[in-house]
Amino acid sequence: MSDVQLTIDGLQVSVPEGTSVFDAARMYGIAIPTLCHQQNETPVGVCRVCVVDVEKARVLAASCVRPAENDMVVHTNSERVLRARKTLVEMLMADHPSPCARQRQSNDCELETLARLEGITEPRFPRKISARGQDNSSLVIAVDHEACILCDRCVRGCDEIRHNDVLGRRGKGFLAGIAFDTNLPMGNSSCVSCGECMVSCPTGALTNKSVVKTVLPGEPVDVDELQQLSYFQKVSGTFLELNKNAVVRRQFRKGEIVCREGEYGSTAFYIMEGQAEVFLSTPMAHVNTERHGTGFLGKMTSRLFGRREERRSEEGRRETIPIDAPVDLPYDHPVATLGPGDLFGEMTCMSLYPRSATVRAATDCVMFEMLRNVLDIIQRNKTLKAQLDANYRRRALDDHLRSVPMFATLDQKFIDILRDKVELVRYTKGDVICQQGDVADSFYLIRLGFVKVSEPHPGGELVLAYLGRGGYFGEIGLLGGGIRTATCTALDHVEVVRIHGEEFHRMVGRFPEVRRSLETLVRERQEQNRQRLATATSMPLDSFLAQGLMEAQSLLVMDLERCTRCDACVRACADAHDGVTRLIREGQRFDKYLVATSCRHCRDPLCMVGCPVGSIRRRNSLEVIIENWCIGCGLCAKNCPYGNINMHPFTVLENDPVNAGRQMAVVKQKATSCDLCTDLAEPSCVYACPHDAAHRVEPNEFFRWVGTPLASVATEEAARRT
Amino acid sequence: MRIDRTQSPWVIATVALAIVSTVAYVVYAVDTRSGPRGGSAIGLTFGIVGYALMLYAGLLGARKQVPTWRIGRAQTWMRGHLWLGLLSLLLILFHGGFAFRGPLTLVLMLLFFIVIGSGILGAVIQHYVPSLITSRVPLETIYEEIPHVRAQLREEADQLAAAICGPVSGTGAEVAGLEIEHDDRERFREAYLRKVRPYLEDPETLGVELSDARRSTETFDALRRLLAEPVRGVLDDLENICEEERQLSRQIRIYHWLHAWLLVHVPLSIALLVLGGVHAVMALRY
Repeated sequence: MSDVQLTIDGLQVSVPEGTSVFDAARMYGIAIPTLCHQQNETPVGVCRVCVVDVEKARVLAASCVRPAENDMVVHTNSERVLRARKTLVEMLMADHPSPCARQRQSNDCELETLARLEGITEPRFPRKISARGQDNSSLVIAVDHEACILCDRCVRGCDEIRHNDVLGRRGKGFLAGIAFDTNLPMGNSSCVSCGECMVSCPTGALTNKSVVKTVLPGEPVDVDELQQLSYFQKVSGTFLELNKNAVVRRQFRKGEIVCREGEYGSTAFYIMEGQAEVFLSTPMAHVNTERHGTGFLGKMTSRLFGRREERRSEEGRRETIPIDAPVDLPYDHPVATLGPGDLFGEMTCMSLYPRSATVRAATDCVMFEMLRNVLDIIQRNKTLKAQLDANYRRRALDDHLRSVPMFATLDQKFIDILRDKVELVRYTKGDVICQQGDVADSFYLIRLGFVKVSEPHPGGELVLAYLGRGGYFGEIGLLGGGIRTATCTALDHVEVVRIHGEEFHRMVGRFPEVRRSLETLVRERQEQNRQRLATATSMPLDSFLAQGLMEAQSLLVMDLERCTRCDACVRACADAHDGVTRLIREGQRFDKYLVATSCRHCRDPLCMVGCPVGSIRRRNSLEVIIENWCIGCGLCAKNCPYGNINMHPFTVLENDPVNAGRQMAVVKQKATSCDLCTDLAEPSCVYACPHDAAHRVEPNEFFRWVGTPLASVATEEAARRT
Repeated sequence: MRIDRTQSPWVIATVALAIVSTVAYVVYAVDTRSGPRGGSAIGLTFGIVGYALMLYAGLLGARKQVPTWRIGRAQTWMRGHLWLGLLSLLLILFHGGFAFRGPLTLVLMLLFFIVIGSGILGAVIQHYVPSLITSRVPLETIYEEIPHVRAQLREEADQLAAAICGPVSGTGAEVAGLEIEHDDRERFREAYLRKVRPYLEDPETLGVELSDARRSTETFDALRRLLAEPVRGVLDDLENICEEERQLSRQIRIYHWLHAWLLVHVPLSIALLVLGGVHAVMALRY
């Protein structure tokens, strides 16, 4: 390849043929300002800031794309060039939200720096910001479309450098902008969070979200070391540098506790070396911890029979307890082991739910503890995602499928077939997984997070169910008319196992008992939904929505003209629940009635959202109950808008970490709420009231008693709230 | 328990049994030459049935100790207690032929009348008083919580007062943000420490002016006239706190009316049952 000779600003230069004027000048130390050009990207010449004056040329040329030619005479600082460059910068600044996020964060927005150098304080052109909006859906990168100057550096970074092909252009004219996939929010796109776009961006259009506020305990991991790990290899070094404090190496000695159930945290753990034991340390009882296993005989009996004798009728076949880890815990002996390559604490990290189980190092362990920006990066990393998915398919899919009672009978051969056929899909908060009326093409099993099942209803949305890990949906549409009967929406970071319709039909064809169970379940769910809709439509929806009482399925109402305040109801409740009452004889008064503070078994049970171990659930008979394996994190109590779930403290003996071989009393707690004494014929509070004052009633019936039109009650309630 | 239409089946059954018993007794009394006696077959039958009903009525207390046992709803037991207990009096009177011979029988009957009387009184109280507590104590709280609520009210009142005149335990101090004359502040402080605080400290003291709604209104009206505008909002709040205190006192009083009769009814019922048993053994054996 021969060299070309040209003159730049009076300097004779010689560069290889094909070199751009911009690079030629740079090689000889002549700086030409630019915005859209980066050395590691193909020049595109869209910003025109790098224009130069080429003698005998008709117009100014963009130096980044103009090849150097023999005998070319170039002026980079002529009056004409300076005027043109200044005008360009002024025009860019006219629709730039100055100071942009980058300027505010690190004072190095390239456009604003250039404007300052050009002496532009106030542009001559009227300021008009393009209403392209912001996108905060990504956990790690903030997108401000309004600050985008359409230089395409991010697009080229994504496509040419990282080969991810996520970024492109959208729109036309003043509203043109960058787009992720088919113009999806960044967090919902196939973006792998490598950070290249952010590193490439010259302005505040793509900036790092500074989520690293806390200093994690542990050994900092430097960027070079991180990049040696397969799942960080494709992540931009600068981006890792920006987030390096969000991941630390933790070393745990054998027996050391990594995290405890019920604690609030914001990190996930990835096991590098060693093994960890995951278990529930809270006693399995509700709430009396001494009922079983006391004395020699009691302990022997407990050992012999496990907890099977305590199961409720409909959970006879329950095999596992869902936790925030790649494995579920066996129901009768809730302990499991995690090893290298396992990631746990995802829900805590992504959705800030309490820890679902206690993790203890079974051997000396090395783990990476990470904040959610790093977790997001590795979850989006194709290598690690494939590894985690493979782990899940290999170890947990069997348990997970079998945790659904009707799939318990599937033979291993078929599960092996499913193992490779199922799809693992992630959704972010607010994503609609399936829409009512759509064609039913899949069955979903929830692996992580919470899903809301709802139906549109005149005047609002009617929530049919909240489903957590182990929950499933989509069978009604597949076994019914092939149309989705409800809308399912992700309430937080959700991961589902998707079984395509074809496989699903093959499965139910091959296993008639599965089909029968599913059909029975479909009929039950349809009947429940029908009843709920019937209840909802029989009352004015305004009232239904305006006040919490109408959300209830069952109110504990006291007739204050009959009640002698003897508290027999409270004592009965305590007697029926291990000495801990689940009702308080106080609450809202309507006329002569008191709506006592006791679980209302709401139609929209917000308390169920977020339970890290799925121990609060709705039974088939619609009442909301808390299972024995509650870990006492208190999230349900916090979520209940009516204060009807109480945390009850109790003492248990645990091994003293300081004095080996000794035990110490530790205070734990469990959530308690009214279970309507479903194992008995009638709620004990009602049964034990000698004065016929306590009643469990539906809101409709209650308002009939009060003799007040619902509308007026709703108005009063609304006024009171105001 | 409220005596209303829902009691009709029990009333009808009790009245029917009473009529049948009365007819039987009249026939028996007329036919018996020596007059009705407890030791006769019919008299003994009245006695046994009457005592059985007394025992059943007495078992209500035991039933309450096992509220979760599914041995009949507590309200059914209560209705039975009321009506069959009442019927037992008639049967026992028939058993003894309206004569109380011997000291034990005399004591027994005396006890029986007191027990039945206190029971009727209790029924009347429990019929009317719950409505009273509902209407007269809108701010009713759980009885056991009253001391705690009172402590909170005192604390709230102290904070309100401190906002005007500084910590009530110390000497008067300027409070930022409030333009109140020193004299007003001192007057407020004196009124609070002399009238409001002592009342909140011991709301059950008789004769205190704030324990009476009318006098309380007069007191606070006078203070409002005396003190400057910025203090009046606090006076309103303190007046409301005093009103809540009065309601709590009222609740305690009504609560005692509701349950005090049991102090007579329950021990005497136990004594009656025990002595009734002694009487039965002695009568049958000797």
